[in-house]
Amino acid sequence: MIRYIARRLLFFVPTLWAIATLTFFLVRLAPGGPFNAERAIPEAARAQLARKYGLDRPLGEQYVTFLGRAARLDFGPSYEFPARPVREIIAQGFRVSAELGGWALLVALLAGVPLGIVAALRHNRATDTAVMGLALAGVSVPNFVLGPLLVLVFSLTLYWLPPALWEGAPSRVLPVLTLSAAYVAYVARLTRAGMLEVLRQDFVRTARAKGLPERLVVLKHALRLGLLPVVSYLGPAAAAVITGSLVVEQVFAVPGLGRYLVNGAYNRDYTLVMGVVLFYAGLLMTLNLLVDVAYAWLDPRVELG
Amino acid sequence: MRSSLTWLAFALAAALAGCAPGGQRAESATHAPRYFGSVSVPRDDVLRFNNGSEPETIDPALASGQSDGRLARSLFEGLTVPDPRTLEPRPGQASRWETSPDGRLWTFHLRPGLQWSDGTPLGARDFVWSWLRALAPATASRNAGLLYAIAGAEPFNRGVTRDPATVGLAAPDDTTLVVRLARPVPHLLYLTAYPTWLPVPRHVVERWGEAWTRPEHIVSNGAFVLERWRPNDRFELRRNPRYRDPGRVRLDRVVAYSVDDLSTGANLYEAGRLDWNTSGYVPSPFVPYLRRYADFRSAPFQSVYFYSLNVTRPPLDNVWVRRALNYAVDREAIARDLLKGTREPWGRLTPQGYPGYPAPAGVAYDLAKARECLARAGYPGGRGFRRISILFSTSEDHRRIAEAIQAMWTRGLGIPVQLENMEWGATMQATSALRYDVARRSWIGDYLDPSTFLDIMRGGDGNNRTGWRDPEYDRLLDAAANEAEPARRLALLARAETLLLADGPVVPIYHYVTTELVKPYVRGIWSNALDSHPLEDMWIDHAWRPGRAAAEAAARAGADPGGARP
Repeated sequence: MIRYIARRLLFFVPTLWAIATLTFFLVRLAPGGPFNAERAIPEAARAQLARKYGLDRPLGEQYVTFLGRAARLDFGPSYEFPARPVREIIAQGFRVSAELGGWALLVALLAGVPLGIVAALRHNRATDTAVMGLALAGVSVPNFVLGPLLVLVFSLTLYWLPPALWEGAPSRVLPVLTLSAAYVAYVARLTRAGMLEVLRQDFVRTARAKGLPERLVVLKHALRLGLLPVVSYLGPAAAAVITGSLVVEQVFAVPGLGRYLVNGAYNRDYTLVMGVVLFYAGLLMTLNLLVDVAYAWLDPRVELG
Repeated sequence: MRSSLTWLAFALAAALAGCAPGGQRAESATHAPRYFGSVSVPRDDVLRFNNGSEPETIDPALASGQSDGRLARSLFEGLTVPDPRTLEPRPGQASRWETSPDGRLWTFHLRPGLQWSDGTPLGARDFVWSWLRALAPATASRNAGLLYAIAGAEPFNRGVTRDPATVGLAAPDDTTLVVRLARPVPHLLYLTAYPTWLPVPRHVVERWGEAWTRPEHIVSNGAFVLERWRPNDRFELRRNPRYRDPGRVRLDRVVAYSVDDLSTGANLYEAGRLDWNTSGYVPSPFVPYLRRYADFRSAPFQSVYFYSLNVTRPPLDNVWVRRALNYAVDREAIARDLLKGTREPWGRLTPQGYPGYPAPAGVAYDLAKARECLARAGYPGGRGFRRISILFSTSEDHRRIAEAIQAMWTRGLGIPVQLENMEWGATMQATSALRYDVARRSWIGDYLDPSTFLDIMRGGDGNNRTGWRDPEYDRLLDAAANEAEPARRLALLARAETLLLADGPVVPIYHYVTTELVKPYVRGIWSNALDSHPLEDMWIDHAWRPGRAAAEAAARAGADPGGARP
């Protein structure tokens, strides 16, 4: 197990290097540069800025300098926000995105798993149809529709919850619900499918035949295996929920990381884009590794190697 | 995506508006003013407003966006401050000033005992240092050009000379500041309130470098000090007890949110979480609907939307072609039908509202004339005209306008036109490098004077971006710059603009208007052409009651014609 993790971690290095290299050259290939604006900048000032950020050096040299710094997690200051190092922007934004994503994932599990179990136990009955209908709606309604709808009902009509901003517990409710809706639905479907599969198996029949109470059969024996699809989904889901909250951050004015990536690319903020992309890549790989490890732990049949 | 979002929210809001139970909205009496969303007067003296996109910096020397400038001006105060109603310069850090007869030498007398917010004394030398810093090439300020009014400033900024003594600034004593100008600048006192002209604390800048603007370091001299900053979320300002006249400021605190999504800003305002949603952050599809509310304000804004023509590319090098394209644009139709009356059709490069400016008549829609011009250019009925393309940056509005103009040119003149959409950064580069035929542009004035628009069309100016160069035009602008007598100067500028419009390197389309939402209990805020609203003049009227509203609205309409809604 330890050797497996060590080997996977070793593979992080070439992967990150490849991503860093690709991003480095792709952002520079994009037309325009970081100092373009409606108001033209005097030539002397532009030259000064280029010197300051090392953009006057040959591209190869810039690349080597960048790699050396990135290895030390130093991406330099953002071009657009000169008073702020990229590392700090990532730290601040990620804290918020992670909180938003964490709550959304928690809601997805707390609501999705019970809904899935209930649907599986009431297979092909009205409850099942209702839950699956709800899940279908949750997956199909995009969050840029759901968000404004929730705002309209809960903020602008009932005046119960703030329509946006990130201050205090009430402000968390709508963004978390919006972000989690699709995941609740997906988790419910996965749980249902997993449980249906498991409930038909021999060891469940044996457990029932031994006279175990149904509650124990379901929660202790069936659920552990029935949840495997959910667990394998958790890694990508955690990554997606943290990195994919852009729309929700925009609609609810949440100061997370997603907004920086898009604006950074838009403004040719090379350092910011590089920093955020590499951070996301590292995050994604770490989460995937965690999932594989958790998978082996949950299902003894899975062998890492 | 944003525009579909906006439309959806708008449609839903419109559908539900009638049955909403909350606040003032339920009041349907036709004579009483109605307000958009919830109105409840706050108990404390705190103003919460949407400042829009996250400011790139609050360093006055570097601030270029509107959200940057609004904070810079609240934290720092220049020699003069604008009157919140008329924008006329009023004494700020300087209590009085005098000027030489030729208008080239200005002496400012600072108030005695001025201090930075940490108690460090502030004197004339601080201004000299701050302006030299903004001009220094190492600072790389985009707006350094606004300081070129000072003698020697331009060569110093361009790095021609490194000697600060060549710049026409002197501080003979702590409260006297002598400024020698490169030429008479009648609008100098407007400039001295502009962010680039604000003083910055040398002791803090030198100690912390670029990090000096962070809340834990920053020291300021304006009405407010920075207390807290959460990126992409908010700036919190507190009243500055060491401000030169603390009694003048009635707000204890200000919370400036950085909400860049238009619908979100409007939602926050409607829910009563914001007291003021600044101009530019009201979704344009909302505007026709919002007009019925007493807290919606709209006024002409000093900004013009235009197309620029790349005169280095045939056939746009032909003046008759440029005239034909100009005459063939039905600006009325665009403003009225496409933009639902939310903008004003406009046929000039300079906007309205410059006192004493004998503005030339704008270009008007005249299809017959347009066809005649095209025929004179050698393309009767558009025959033989090569396909030209209209370049615009990604935006639903830009696309709709480009489509309308494409139709006008194709149907009206018979010339083939295609649309070319690029992402913003790419558009900027293409226009700077003159790699386009026709491109969408817009310009916002910096101060109340036509030169802030006309100067961009000087030959070789970095903002010209058309390749157009006319020695006579440049000569008229130079003559105006050296003319001390205001009426003669404005007449010269008007002649330059007449020449520009006749030669047609730009196709003006519309004049921007401000659109903002201000709760009725917020006082001391007036609509004006610069969309400039000094926070130190604003206050919360705790005595405001809905019953008083009708009388108040009438009073406001009387006192503030600019703010009255159409």
